[in-house]
Amino acid sequence: MGKFTRRTFLSVTGSAIALSAMPRLAFAEDTAVRHFWWGNPERDKRTFAVIDIYNSKNPGVKVSGETLGFADYFTKLTTQIAGGNMPDVIQQGYGVLFEYIANGAVVPLDDYVGKSLDISKMDQSAIDAGTVDGKFYALSIGANSHMAMYNTRLFEEAGVNIGETFDPYAYTYDQLKDIAKAIKDATGVAGTDDNTADYQNFSDFTVQKGANLYNEDGSYGPTQEIVEEYWSTWGSIRDAGGTPPGPESAALAGVSELSQLGVVTGKSAMTYLWSNQLVGVQGLMQDTLGAAVYPNTPDMIPGSVIQPSQFVCLTRDSANPEAATAYMSAFVNDLDMTKVLGLERGIPSNADVRAALEPDLSPAEKVSVDFFDKIQGKTAALPAPPPAGAGEVEQTFERLAVSVLLGERSIPEVATDFLNQAKAILARA
Amino acid sequence: MHKFLKRNFAGYAFLSPWLIGFFFLAIGPILASLYLSFTKYNVVRPPQWIGLDNYFYMFQMDQRFWKALQVTFTFVTVSVPLKLMFALFVAMALDKGIRAIGWYRALFYLPSILGGSIAVAILWRQLFNYDGVINSILRLFGGDGPYWLSDPKYSLWTLIVLAIWQFGSPMLIFLAGLRAIPQELYEAAEIDAAGPVRKFFAITVPLLAPVIFFNLVLQMIEAFKSFSGAFIISGGTGAPLDSLLFFTVYLYNEAFSFLRMGYASALAWVLLLIIAAFTAIAFWTSKYWVHYENERG
Repeated sequence: MGKFTRRTFLSVTGSAIALSAMPRLAFAEDTAVRHFWWGNPERDKRTFAVIDIYNSKNPGVKVSGETLGFADYFTKLTTQIAGGNMPDVIQQGYGVLFEYIANGAVVPLDDYVGKSLDISKMDQSAIDAGTVDGKFYALSIGANSHMAMYNTRLFEEAGVNIGETFDPYAYTYDQLKDIAKAIKDATGVAGTDDNTADYQNFSDFTVQKGANLYNEDGSYGPTQEIVEEYWSTWGSIRDAGGTPPGPESAALAGVSELSQLGVVTGKSAMTYLWSNQLVGVQGLMQDTLGAAVYPNTPDMIPGSVIQPSQFVCLTRDSANPEAATAYMSAFVNDLDMTKVLGLERGIPSNADVRAALEPDLSPAEKVSVDFFDKIQGKTAALPAPPPAGAGEVEQTFERLAVSVLLGERSIPEVATDFLNQAKAILARA
Repeated sequence: MHKFLKRNFAGYAFLSPWLIGFFFLAIGPILASLYLSFTKYNVVRPPQWIGLDNYFYMFQMDQRFWKALQVTFTFVTVSVPLKLMFALFVAMALDKGIRAIGWYRALFYLPSILGGSIAVAILWRQLFNYDGVINSILRLFGGDGPYWLSDPKYSLWTLIVLAIWQFGSPMLIFLAGLRAIPQELYEAAEIDAAGPVRKFFAITVPLLAPVIFFNLVLQMIEAFKSFSGAFIISGGTGAPLDSLLFFTVYLYNEAFSFLRMGYASALAWVLLLIIAAFTAIAFWTSKYWVHYENERG
């Protein structure tokens, strides 16, 4: 073997460095726009199809899509913020959005409105929801509400009569307990998921009890009584045999993959999500899903809100904001594109788009639209944006609720612990 | 200096990928994280100097920090000795003149290559699910398996088993060590009517001590840094009830879920100091139980 001299070493490394330092050869490149969203298989399929439509209609622009599951999406976005290489267009949810606006990661759209971005057909409520301090930041791509989804086959097999023994738009936790137990007895499948560790249901319950998750001064709203009552309510359904066993529900605490849901794996007949997720969940199932509101207390105070589920936003790092906002505009206005998107991200905020979709709705989408019509006027007012630290409070709730599910500690003890930790988190944030 | 470089050039050339990586890729971020550990930094806004506050908070207020330490120490102190014992046991079994020994060695090494991967962590989750393979087997024998992963009493043990299963690399090193023990010693012992147990403790263990020590240090560091298994099996949060809250998982959570990069950097430096301290202790005790053959005693 020949000698590896210093000269050869230097020449090899030298040329490697030179190569890496050379700029990429400049072809006549298209204007690139990166669109990043969190998704599920159904959403990803539709969104990539929409990107193809946009690219074929707009020569000279090349939109590329990137997608991750919800759990990893914000992690990736965080590292991209740090690296200064966020995609041009990102998906945001109500809640997290405000942190991104406050931090300057998402920039206002006002300069593009009426030029590259057309919002003339958008519902005023949707525009208001994306406006902070008089500046318009976020383009709603669908409205949403809490929805319980039940397996109609299992409900029928157990003789639960929709509309008579079970009113999907008004039923109490006590009624749910009886129904869930009847389903378990008749079919062997638990009648409902156990929501002890489900923060979404807890927030709903808090509002039903006349409180808010966050008070106006940003302090935490739920009281010791509310937390205890919430856990004992679900505890009684569990004890009656209406839910899967505690440890099984504990394993699902904080899991966001739809494929793991009890209704999908055949372990439960009812689950509690956001209304836009109906299309995704139905896509994973053979049996037909029905839609219902969340259970309520006998007082029947509405606990759910209708809110924009998702937005598209322009990021600080966008190199081509004109091209990016033009794409965002098409995403909510172009009838060919919105037709493909359907209702998968929620009910569109553009009236023309809704009208155009109507004739071709899939069965699951029809259920979704019907649900939306029925809950109009029966929902709570949109709360103020959650304070910093809200996400951590939610995770703490999920974590501590597991000890309730496993029966390791008493409910009052865990409730006190949770409220203390929530207070500490909000103080530190 | 010039002469020195000339003589050792080949050595440095072979080291160069690592050296370049260290000086150009690693050292910058390492020093940056030391700086960040004295700041409050949420990625979007510039870091804000807060002195030792992160460290004060960690030791005085943060219950999850202590929980993470407890979980990690349990994992290290249980999994490392068991893994080494198992590796030594398999190495001794393979040290006998078995046919197709090469195949067995490769076969037993395989889990070490696969074990750290995400795929195996997911596989592990499937195995230990309530309706998974392990419980199905238990049910065949009439038992009813527990919720391995969602019951905090058992969850850590599934990860300890996963760690032991990756015994391949210490096993190979043991095997090499066993080969280096002169056969005459065993023959002499047999003439003196020593049994297998006696031979093991009087010949194998003392002569293998340097190798055992080497494996111990390596595996200990590995175990402290263990991440992917706990991350995947706990869904990234250390669930259930923080029973899988490995130090690294907690660090990751603080950094990427809650955007406390400053605090996470402080955690990382504490982990570094802990690993350094344990390694130093191991080296210090080694004086008393590790003897090298060429030492004159």
